[in-house]
Amino acid sequence: MSCVTTQDRAVAINPTRSCAPIGAMLANYGIHGAITINHGSQGCATYPRHQMARHFREPVEVASTSLTEKTTVYGGKNNLLSALKNIWERFNPTMIMVCSTCLSETIGDDIPGIIDEFKDNNPEITIPILSVKTPSYIGNHATGFDNFLKEIANNLPDRRKKKGETNGKINIIPGWVNPGDIRELKHIVREMALHAIWLTDYSETLDGGYYEPRPHFARGGTTIEELQSSSKSIATIALQRHIGGDAAHIYERRHNVPAHILPMPIGLENTDAFVDTLTEITDHTVPEILQVERARLLDALVDTHMFTSGLRVALFGDPDILEGLTSLVVEMGMTPAYILTASESKPWAEHMVEVTQELGVESEIIIKSDLHELHKRIKAKPVDLLIGHSKGKFIADAEKIPLVRVGFPVEDRFGYHRRSIVGYNGAISLVDEITNIVFERRATGVVSNTLLELGVEGPSTMPLLIPNGNGNGKH
Amino acid sequence: MKLKCNATLPDRALHIALKTSEGGCRRGDGTDCFIASNSATTPGDMTERGCTYAGCRGVVGGPVKDAIQLTHGPIGCAFFSWGYRPHLADSDFHMKYTFVSDMNETNIVFGGEKKLLQSIIEANREFPEAKAVFVYNTCSTALIGDDGRDVAKQAEEMIGKPVVFFECEGFKGVSQSMGHHVGNETIFRQLVGSAEPEGDFSRTINIVGDYNIKNDLRTFEYLFEALGLKIITRFTGNVGVDELRIMHKAALNVVHCQRSATYIADMMQEKYGTPYINVTLWGIKHMAQALRDTAAFFGLEAQAEAVIANELAKLQPKIDYYRERLQGKTVFIYQGGPRAWHWIELLRELGMKTITVATTFGHEDDYEKIFEQIDAGGMMIDNPNVPELEEILTHRRPDLFISGNKEKYVAYKLGVPFVNGHTYDTGPYAGFSGMVNFARDIDKAIHAPIWATLKRKARPAPAAHHTSHGFAHGFEGAD
Ligand code: SF4
Ligand code: SF4
Repeated sequence: MSCVTTQDRAVAINPTRSCAPIGAMLANYGIHGAITINHGSQGCATYPRHQMARHFREPVEVASTSLTEKTTVYGGKNNLLSALKNIWERFNPTMIMVCSTCLSETIGDDIPGIIDEFKDNNPEITIPILSVKTPSYIGNHATGFDNFLKEIANNLPDRRKKKGETNGKINIIPGWVNPGDIRELKHIVREMALHAIWLTDYSETLDGGYYEPRPHFARGGTTIEELQSSSKSIATIALQRHIGGDAAHIYERRHNVPAHILPMPIGLENTDAFVDTLTEITDHTVPEILQVERARLLDALVDTHMFTSGLRVALFGDPDILEGLTSLVVEMGMTPAYILTASESKPWAEHMVEVTQELGVESEIIIKSDLHELHKRIKAKPVDLLIGHSKGKFIADAEKIPLVRVGFPVEDRFGYHRRSIVGYNGAISLVDEITNIVFERRATGVVSNTLLELGVEGPSTMPLLIPNGNGNGKH
Repeated sequence: MKLKCNATLPDRALHIALKTSEGGCRRGDGTDCFIASNSATTPGDMTERGCTYAGCRGVVGGPVKDAIQLTHGPIGCAFFSWGYRPHLADSDFHMKYTFVSDMNETNIVFGGEKKLLQSIIEANREFPEAKAVFVYNTCSTALIGDDGRDVAKQAEEMIGKPVVFFECEGFKGVSQSMGHHVGNETIFRQLVGSAEPEGDFSRTINIVGDYNIKNDLRTFEYLFEALGLKIITRFTGNVGVDELRIMHKAALNVVHCQRSATYIADMMQEKYGTPYINVTLWGIKHMAQALRDTAAFFGLEAQAEAVIANELAKLQPKIDYYRERLQGKTVFIYQGGPRAWHWIELLRELGMKTITVATTFGHEDDYEKIFEQIDAGGMMIDNPNVPELEEILTHRRPDLFISGNKEKYVAYKLGVPFVNGHTYDTGPYAGFSGMVNFARDIDKAIHAPIWATLKRKARPAPAAHHTSHGFAHGFEGAD
């Protein structure tokens, strides 16, 4: 049976989590024409901007209230008031989201109160101005995203819904994914001939094209009108339990929109769960193209199993992506030896014990932990493969273990934000990539569609001959 | 000079100035006053500035290769400052690891001193080979009044190695510049002079204010060594704690970044009488001058001339090649501080003309140096923000924009060739040989075929189309 462990150390060394404002900023990027004001000192805005630019390779613009020592003594109210005014006048946004920081929370600024005052003084400004609490000493980047969604669910949907009134759409909360993932989910929804309101949709705002002239706001993103109409949707599907699960429940409680909380749709089972849910809440059936994609995924799993079965992998990152990946790697015949997250959630850990038990594998589920801890585990008992974000590269380099890059941030490779790991297609590309990495890095060579492994069982003095250049000849 | 985007931000006019045809300064507010700088950012203006912590942890302390880099604060400050600035060294502990006391809510309410002490001890236990622990303070831990200095003192006794506490909380200054100052002052006070090696130090120098971005040091160290000089300490790039301790032994400080490191040169001059010279280690003229000035101090003029002649013989043909290709191109330089003025001459040597110069955290002396070097019609901007950058890139349309990673994608979305001057596209860019890399990257950026393709082929954005399922397939909406 799987076990749950935690790190026995106060100091965090190479954390696998960052802070709450970046989650809210990312989510807000999925709303067309919305601008973020980060209420704090400049670093808290500039650092996440920089981090997002390194991942998405897009301009990332976030305003700061630029608190300094002087302003913190008297509170940040005046800075926030002038930031709101400056942003409104200069950008004419569709919405403003104000997220807090450790600094403004510690000072104790009443952000909603300041926003109310701003609105009272400027009655002509009618756009939504949202306050999201994002102190990072509570939770992490995922908490920021989740809190943002809760604020959206609480504040934007139209409350004057008539009984039985519906827009015929489904609210879908993809969670912390990549633009490529959202596009893949849209593909599924489109092929099912359904319509969704995406909470939120940064598939184009953070993976935009080159246009002449450059549009004032990045193309794409969910519109305010869609958010307002989201109370009239027929259901809400949250595809990450920790990001959007609560918001889905708010829709259910306040607006009578049924909530469906699903595992992140990575791998066959989890994608099936998503597609099945779509068929259950509507009378639509699974179209031919999705059936073909699904069959193609099964085919890929068959074709690759001899090269992936039995491999031990370490997974690290956020709870939801880990749950999805666990399912896929087991479908590939691999064992998730370590599943490590910074999250402190015991319920999640217990859930993962059940998940792995059902899948028939034994894992060490390490919560409240950092990458240094993972490195120590791997040094003690190695794995064949690492799956996680770019910060795992230090372990990969030191231990000469290949790293399959997924999640956030992927800052040392190009274009991963465009890829998809969800849906049948996403799973197929992950299966391909994992297998290819095994081909490239673990084996000595690929000969005639098979792997050439140069280790021989038992003593042997016979020199190993490698056929014409397909292997690299290293003994 | 007024920018359209600043219509609602009149104060920004004080931070924009033109050089008139008579060589005077005409500020955005219509006066002849000099450009305003080093002042608080207008809230909400979309500044590119970072925080004091970033200047200290990221720039000055971060490159020290054998210190544990421990942030006292919540997780984010540490995560974001981890491993992205390529201040290389001959080992990579400082790049690979970040440590953080990881303040949670209880710590914020009841104080984080205990956790900090425990963090230092544990970090040291995990990496006993580290030579010191550098502790950086952040906004929230400063605000709750943790006495990090005292904790550092206790910890130092317990672990028997220096624990250096930087009071670099992010909100302390108006930009990262304050962090440089704190970094200098703290390292000087806590480390410099704490070891006294024997020996002859009469022909030794420190390189002060070079952070070894992408191995910049490699392009010029050997030139100083060829003069017969030994480099004691690099403040701070490819440097160990033990070298910082003996920094005061050097005969001369050669100061490169005069914004972020003059502080320590001044303090050393005052306390130890160490003289210093200011140099620019970019471009032909300046690099040669730096070698001449350094040599003159030691009476090694002849050696300097020989070294320079030898280098130039190798360099000149390559520079001539690029000069021909880059002749007359216009440049907008936007850097943190001094690089903005360091590079005007280098670009002139490549036949290029700098028409706009901006800095994130430059002070008055930086702008004076810029002003001196730009031609009439040249423009200066202090602490530019995103809309200003966009407007300048669109309307002053430089042939090249040299800036950092964040601004890169703004330039690209506007179709402006770009070179990353912060962390370098390739690098190194310093010294004589690095200049060839710099010129090659500039050439590559400007002459890439993509710009012509964009001109011919780019189209306007399709009409706004936010259907809920992405791209319409010809079936009607359900509503
Ligand atoms: S202070 Fe808090 S919000 Fe700001 S960067 Fe640090 S962890 Fe993030
Ligand atoms: S909390 Fe302060 S120190 Fe940390 S990133 Fe934000 S501004 Fe900088």
